[in-house]
Amino acid sequence: MQRNRHRRFSFSVWRLPRLAGVIVVASSLLLLASDNRPDRIPSYVSWTPETIAAASAGDAFRGMLLARHCDHCHGAEGFSAVASTPNLVRMDKLAIWKQLEDFRAHKRTSRVMEPISESLSPRDVADVVAYYSKLPVFTDPQDNRSFPQSRPDPAHAGIASRLISFGDGERGIPPCQTCHGPVAYRPGVPSLATQNADYVLNQLEAFASRARANDINEPMRTIAALLTEDERHALAEYYGAGLGLQPGSSK
Amino acid sequence: MNWQKVRTLLITVLLLCLIPATRYYQIDVPLLRFLKGSRQVDPLALHLSGEFVENNLGTEQGPDGSVTVRMIAQQYLFIPHCILVPAGVPVHLRITSADAVHSLTFNGTDYAVKVLPGTISDAQLEFPHPGEYQMPCREFCGAGHYAMRSELKVVPREQFPVLRPEERGNCAAQ
Repeated sequence: MQRNRHRRFSFSVWRLPRLAGVIVVASSLLLLASDNRPDRIPSYVSWTPETIAAASAGDAFRGMLLARHCDHCHGAEGFSAVASTPNLVRMDKLAIWKQLEDFRAHKRTSRVMEPISESLSPRDVADVVAYYSKLPVFTDPQDNRSFPQSRPDPAHAGIASRLISFGDGERGIPPCQTCHGPVAYRPGVPSLATQNADYVLNQLEAFASRARANDINEPMRTIAALLTEDERHALAEYYGAGLGLQPGSSK
Repeated sequence: MNWQKVRTLLITVLLLCLIPATRYYQIDVPLLRFLKGSRQVDPLALHLSGEFVENNLGTEQGPDGSVTVRMIAQQYLFIPHCILVPAGVPVHLRITSADAVHSLTFNGTDYAVKVLPGTISDAQLEFPHPGEYQMPCREFCGAGHYAMRSELKVVPREQFPVLRPEERGNCAAQ
C-alpha cells in the first residue's frame, strides 16, 4: 500500500524539461501560424467616462499659473503670434488633453511639444487644459496676434462654407461643423472657430499624407485625403478669417 | 453513504446550477466568452486592440481564397472609405459601430446590414456584377447622416490582386 502510493506520486527528473520543451515547440508553432503583425494604434486615449472625468477635473487657477510657460508660443491671451502655432483660446479641454497625451506617447510628432508634454504631470495637463477652455476671447487685443486673418476671396469662401455646412454627399465627405462645432461636438475634437489658417492647412496636409496619424479610427486621414488641394486652402482661409463661428454660415 | 459524501454531492450540484444561472442572468463570464468567440466589442476601444485595429480593416484574403471585409461605422464615415472585393465570391462582412446605430446598404443590391455599437454584425454577401457601388448609411445617425457614404469596387475575379497584409485598406491605389 505504502509503496504503491509512493510510486503513484513519484516525480521523474526528466518530466519538467520535457514539459518545457513541449511548451516551447507548441508556442513557436502557434506564433508561426498566427498572423503576428503588430497592431498599429493611433492613440492610447479611449473616451471612457473615467477618461473624460480625469481630463475635466482640472483646477483652472493653477492652470493659469502653469500656462505662463505656454505664452511664448501660444500667446498670453491664447492667440499665438505665429500662424503655424495653434490658438488655444476657448479650445475644448478634451481636445488639448488628447493632443498632450499623444505627444507624451509619441503618437503625434513635434520637436517642441513632445519634450514639453513629457515634463508635465497628469495633474498639470488637466489644470492647463481647464484654464484654456475657460479663457475668454478679449475683444481688444493686447499683443500682436495672428488671428483673425484677412477675409478669403468669395469663390473660396463659397467652397468652404458649403463643405463646413453640408459636406459633400456625392464623395462621402461629412460636414465639418457636425464634429468641429458649433453645431455638434465629439469628445476630443477641437473647435475650429478661432483657429489659424496656416495651422489648419498644415494639419489637413499632414493628415492627407498620413504624416499625422493620431486620429482615432482615422476620420481625419480619410476626409483630408478626399479633399482637393483647393478645398484644403479654402477651408483653412475660411476658418482663419474667423468665419466659422456661426452655425451654417454662408458667406 | 456518509454525510461527507452527501455534502460533496450537494456542493457539486449547486456549483453546476451556477453555469445555467450565469447564462440565464446574462452574467459576463470571461472564460465562456473566450471559448465561444464572442461578438461583443468595446465601441470606445476599437482602436486599441482586437479585430478592428486600423491596420486590420479592409479586405483580407485568407489562404484558401476566402474574402473577409472588416469595417467600422462612425459618425459620419465608414472606415475604410473604399472597399475592393472580387465579383462572384462570397464576402464575409464584419462591421461594428464606434458610436451610434448605423445601417450599411449597397446601392444596386438589396443588402442592408444593421450596425450597432458594442456588437459585431456578420453578413455573407455576394456581388455578381463588377462595378462601383455606393454604400450609404440608411439609419438616421445624426446631423451629417446624409453625407455618410463610402464606395465599393467590385472587380472581376481574375483582376482581383493577391492582397498583402499591409494592403487591406488601400482601395484607391488599385
